[in-house]
Amino acid sequence: MLFLLGISYAHAQQVKMVTGTITDQNTFPLPGVNILLKGTTTGTQSDFDGKYSIVAAEGDVLVFSYLGQRTTERTVGASNIMDIQMEEDAQALEEVVVIGYGNQEERKIIQNVGVVREEAIENLQVVSADQLLQGQSAGTQIVNASGVLGSAAIIRVRGVNSINSGSQPLIVIDGVPITDTAGNTLNRGGNTGINPLSYVNPNDIASLTVLKDAGATSIYGSRGANGVILITTKKGRRNSRATVTLDVNTQFSQSTDVPDILAADEFRQFKSEVATLQQGSPVSPEDLNLGAIGSGGTDWLAGVQRTGISQNYNLGVRGGGENTSFFFGLDYQDTSGFIIGNDQQRASGRINIDTDVTEWLKVGMNLGVTNNRLNRVGVENNIDAPFTTAFLQSPVVKAFDDQGNFAQSGSFIPNVIARVALDFDELKTFRVIGNAYTEVTPIDGLTWRSEFGIDKLTVEETVRNAEFNTPGGAAQQIYVAEDRWLTNQTLNYTPNLGEDHSLNVLVGLNYEETLRTRLNVTSTGFLTDGLRNIGSGATPSILNGDRFPSRLFGLFSRVSYDYQGKYLVEGSIRRDGSSRFGVNNRFGYFWSAAAGWVLSEESFIEDLNFFDYLSIRASLGTVGNDRLGTFPSLGLFNAGGFGDYNGESGVVPNQPENPDIKWEESETLDIGIKSTFLNGRVSFNAAYFKKTTSDLLLNQILPPQTGFTSISRNIGEMENTGWEFDFNTVNVRSENFEWKTSFNLTTIDNTVTKLNADAATDAQGRRIIDGTIQRAIEGESLNNFFLIRYVGINSQTGDAEWLDVDGNVTNNPGSGDRVVVGSPLPDFSGGMTNTFTYKNLDLSVLMNYSYGNEVVIDGLRFADGNDAIGGIVNIRRQNLNFWRQAGDNAFLPSPTSSTFNLFNQRSSQQLLDASYLRIKNITLGYNLPERAIERLGGFISGLRFYTTVTNLFTFKKDEMKGIDPEVTDDIDPRFQGESFFTAPQAKSYSLGARLTF
Amino acid sequence: MKSYKTIGIFLGLLTIASCEKQLEVVPEDNVATNTVFNSFATINGAVVGIYSKNQSGDLNGNPQLMSDFMADNVAFVGSFPTLQEIDQFTTLATNTTIDNIWLDAYELIGAANNVIVNLPEVSPADVTGLTETDKTRFVAEAKFLRALTYFQLVNLFAQPYQVAGGGNLGVPIVTNPFEGGDISEFQKERSTVNEVHAFIERDLLDAAAVLPSDNGLRAESGAARALLARLYLYREEWTNAANFADQVINSGDYALATGYDFYDDNPGSPENIFSVINTPTDGPQDESVPGSDEVYVNFYNPSPGGRGDAPFSPDLISAYMAEPGDLRFSMLSQAALDAQNNDTFFTTKYPDIVNNASDGMVLRMTEMYLIRAEANLRGGTSVGDSPLNDINRLRTRAGLVNLGSVDLDGILLERRKELAFEGHRRMDLLRNDLNLRPGGGSESAPGADKVIFPIVDDELTNNPNITQNPGNF
Repeated sequence: MLFLLGISYAHAQQVKMVTGTITDQNTFPLPGVNILLKGTTTGTQSDFDGKYSIVAAEGDVLVFSYLGQRTTERTVGASNIMDIQMEEDAQALEEVVVIGYGNQEERKIIQNVGVVREEAIENLQVVSADQLLQGQSAGTQIVNASGVLGSAAIIRVRGVNSINSGSQPLIVIDGVPITDTAGNTLNRGGNTGINPLSYVNPNDIASLTVLKDAGATSIYGSRGANGVILITTKKGRRNSRATVTLDVNTQFSQSTDVPDILAADEFRQFKSEVATLQQGSPVSPEDLNLGAIGSGGTDWLAGVQRTGISQNYNLGVRGGGENTSFFFGLDYQDTSGFIIGNDQQRASGRINIDTDVTEWLKVGMNLGVTNNRLNRVGVENNIDAPFTTAFLQSPVVKAFDDQGNFAQSGSFIPNVIARVALDFDELKTFRVIGNAYTEVTPIDGLTWRSEFGIDKLTVEETVRNAEFNTPGGAAQQIYVAEDRWLTNQTLNYTPNLGEDHSLNVLVGLNYEETLRTRLNVTSTGFLTDGLRNIGSGATPSILNGDRFPSRLFGLFSRVSYDYQGKYLVEGSIRRDGSSRFGVNNRFGYFWSAAAGWVLSEESFIEDLNFFDYLSIRASLGTVGNDRLGTFPSLGLFNAGGFGDYNGESGVVPNQPENPDIKWEESETLDIGIKSTFLNGRVSFNAAYFKKTTSDLLLNQILPPQTGFTSISRNIGEMENTGWEFDFNTVNVRSENFEWKTSFNLTTIDNTVTKLNADAATDAQGRRIIDGTIQRAIEGESLNNFFLIRYVGINSQTGDAEWLDVDGNVTNNPGSGDRVVVGSPLPDFSGGMTNTFTYKNLDLSVLMNYSYGNEVVIDGLRFADGNDAIGGIVNIRRQNLNFWRQAGDNAFLPSPTSSTFNLFNQRSSQQLLDASYLRIKNITLGYNLPERAIERLGGFISGLRFYTTVTNLFTFKKDEMKGIDPEVTDDIDPRFQGESFFTAPQAKSYSLGARLTF
Repeated sequence: MKSYKTIGIFLGLLTIASCEKQLEVVPEDNVATNTVFNSFATINGAVVGIYSKNQSGDLNGNPQLMSDFMADNVAFVGSFPTLQEIDQFTTLATNTTIDNIWLDAYELIGAANNVIVNLPEVSPADVTGLTETDKTRFVAEAKFLRALTYFQLVNLFAQPYQVAGGGNLGVPIVTNPFEGGDISEFQKERSTVNEVHAFIERDLLDAAAVLPSDNGLRAESGAARALLARLYLYREEWTNAANFADQVINSGDYALATGYDFYDDNPGSPENIFSVINTPTDGPQDESVPGSDEVYVNFYNPSPGGRGDAPFSPDLISAYMAEPGDLRFSMLSQAALDAQNNDTFFTTKYPDIVNNASDGMVLRMTEMYLIRAEANLRGGTSVGDSPLNDINRLRTRAGLVNLGSVDLDGILLERRKELAFEGHRRMDLLRNDLNLRPGGGSESAPGADKVIFPIVDDELTNNPNITQNPGNF
């Protein structure tokens, strides 16, 4: 009927040919746009240049639609020409999100995933890809380990889920799970290793998806328990003119905050004052062998820092034709860090291509190659670490002698400037991550995707110590090759069941082989520093020469169904087998089930006229963790250096037998709500999760009389419950000005619910896993700092005071007086981003925060007090405030007090409140307006200038003055929040330009 | 299209079948428990492994160092808070250096128990090249090393025999290896010092009866008897001590060296009865723990190269200077600055600072003469030779004049000057009821709480049956 009406109308009006050009919001022509004469089935498409022509009459309505753009309707007017500029759909919910082994429309997602899109990260200048996640996604917590280049960061998705089996999430790049073995490089103090994500060029990344609940991670089976981070690199665009983006920037960096330590004369003054008081007769600095006041010294802290400079050049080309799309990227970064001797050069290239060979065959390849050269320095708790030694070294020790040559320090704390200058420590890595795939569509709706991927890592670290630092010289070389190849074969079937029903079935197979080969050789006895190679040393020895093979085989399936896009259900199942487990328990099964209800499609919600989108979803499922070394179930003896004696080969017991060892399993319940209202201006997501991990592999500490330190048994249980909130608003939206805010908050409560029956117990009879500074307590969380309580200095007596276990003041505490005093786990944490756009200017401010967590800075046992290491180390300025007379409010006890030398024993004196709010990134950018671009000759299509400040300022407690709250010297979850003298994060300023043509 | 589908499904099934077999992967660098006793080479390897455990600087190195600075031979000016604690007699049970001693000792005992308990069950018919003599010899070597370790433990963690006649608490005695089962068998309470000594004595008598008199550089019957002599001396069983020392002296297998070149890198010298042999590629450090600090060599040597933490004490220097010309001082010391820039002397008995791999002295002929002399003097006997002759023999080698007569103080002085830095001084003072420090107070007096080590925190937390030593640890 309508059609006839339409035609009769058309008769009334003059039918004509309407033509025009359709462009997108960046004024690029848009081919393939559907143009429909409304109310009819007459339509056409725009061509390669975005031009279209259609027969219509004045007054007809034309509907323009294109995936990803807001559907536009225009009424045909008097003119025959109608140019349309499409806009990107403000409701981002039409977009497609990458999930495990597939994609899904965001509207229909009932898994709990956090998506970090290109817009959120394109302006962040970062050195490594994990920094892109900080503060961006609820439930994901990133704690940087230190400011040394290349240091790994702790990444936790929904808290700590394992005690011994690693708590880092699985990282998948374009479908290839990458290896992240911490032991591939030499330990430089602190146990953080090199960051696996430093081998992925952040400029190549299009988006990151964090898979959080069981519905999302269960399909990764035995590896999904700590969450999965899917990284998708940039891809090309079909039917799109190739765009070239060139980005050049320079960055300057300095340290954020360092403690205030004494200069040489202050040190002499302090030491002689203290000695005078202690001995009762005047003692001069010369008497203490410190030299006279005024005889000079060294500012070590200034000597180990410098202004770091980084240059970064990035080129990206993306485009595509009708059948093919491509992305090609090149990147070069040359960074010198703010710590001396620490710099890095990284070159990387990427090519991502996909093409439709025929109607039913599509092939593609993603390949990224990175070459990295890192000049390393000690990280922490190590006399080679510049920051540790700069704090400890006495300021009266000279770095240079009178002739300007390096001077020996005269103690075991070396001249660290000579160490860094003369010693050579270089890490070269070469990594190839890529995959090639074919997609065959034999019948409509059925796709067979066959994929082969590799992650090939070659690491070579060379160390050469000079004669000055190590008599006889020393050299070490470690070669590690870690190769993984894998294949994924998936069958994806989406039958056409009509408009109301939508079904997708996925069946797949995943097989991976990983081989890690390591050769570690040292030598001593070099005649001169000029002999650089390890073969020239007199006494070589092989420390390691070994291979670690492992294999994984998984079968999985996922079924998703929805009715009218309103009622959604999904289920998945996976069976995983791994070479790591004993024969008794080789295979594990993991399943998940999820359901969702899009309430905004229901009439009773639509009638409210308030929600643009509202859905609730819930999921339940199991997932596993398999990170526990290569052969944990066999009883093993070690051969090689461990067991040799006097030239004879020997073997020593290394690991007790354990045939029943199995998977750790996590069961997660997740309930969430997603909503958007006020015409897309506000969106609010909230989720509650409860994750119970059972069969936790615990290194059950064995009584020392067994001769083994521990045995791994599946005996523990742990629970994490929490809330995640995501709040995005468009506060102001006017023609020239826009202000958007994005805020997220996560709170996680961690409880160890069960430890082994024969575990050690504490004074209250609760089972524990003990450590030097913190312990895990059954019924409480995994991380509890367990220290003697320090009270302060008694202002009347000048004695330091502690509390004994009953809470009474004591001057002589023992290890039995330790109690739980804090935890490194925050009460809540998250981030906030504010973006302001005014005409061609944009400003974005990213902040991240953490509240309620503490840290223990073990290094304060040396930097405070008078007698650490016999009193030769430098101390913090607050130690000048020692007790002199009654009524003094002092930091340090009286030098004549019996507690003077006990002051710096391990206690809560080193425990500090590390809550913080950090202004992580401020970026100000200016896009050259169109008129200016045209005046430049129309060659370029965009020019942007930007300046970025990273880690500008941190709001933190006074007691943290000089200490970075975001430090940890071990990624092992049992030691989180402990630090010795970790180098702080860098504060950096950068200036850059981005040219698009 | 159908054919593609068929091929696809067929390929898929094929892949599944072949993949599962691939999951059986074997380790390439370890030997599994069930195969260690299957060949002669690995059985010998298991025994060699016990010697390797004994190389640990926590068993031969650090205890000697601590023995020296707790007593009056070394003035410790060093670095590590754990060692400072011990030096100041303020030790806590959480002291990690002491923890390492306890853990390493029981690891060695576990490795030895594995051989002692499991090897007798192996039949020579099943293993090519293995004879019954081999089996008994291997078990005897394991017993010797086990006894040596228990002796070290009971000397450090329990008050000496003299304090309560041996009725005070010693250390737990473990005789079985751990094989993944019930751990309650390894949560034993402490046996008394007498019980531990009896256990050591039995092990050593068993070993002495079976070990050959020449076993290369490994444990021999002479070593077992020498250790027995020391045990009896500490227990004041003078006759036994003198007899066993005399047996070793007259065995013909060893001889007093003419000079002092038997330290470091000379384990084959006739002076050495048993020593811990460290080489540049195989030393006291635990390679599995990067940067581990079992580096007593580092402490005993001055910087650069060493830390300069453990120089001669002023008291020891005066002891040598009282009789100038003592070769044990002039040949075995070097003048240098310590870690606090004071002029002093350092021993040269552990010179390998490049690889931290000097040999550990355990049993040598000189000690046998000293034991014989002291046992004879205090027992009123003259087994082998008179105490005066034995002492003068050592003094002559040191370039000093003969004494006319000798008393207990004189013998103890010679012991001190001969065996300095070899781990004897602390026990020598304590068993003779002398204060560890010259002019020392109550904290370093014999029987004081902290002249011995606390039972380590690891043992306390994991064993409900253990008793801590008295004192606020």
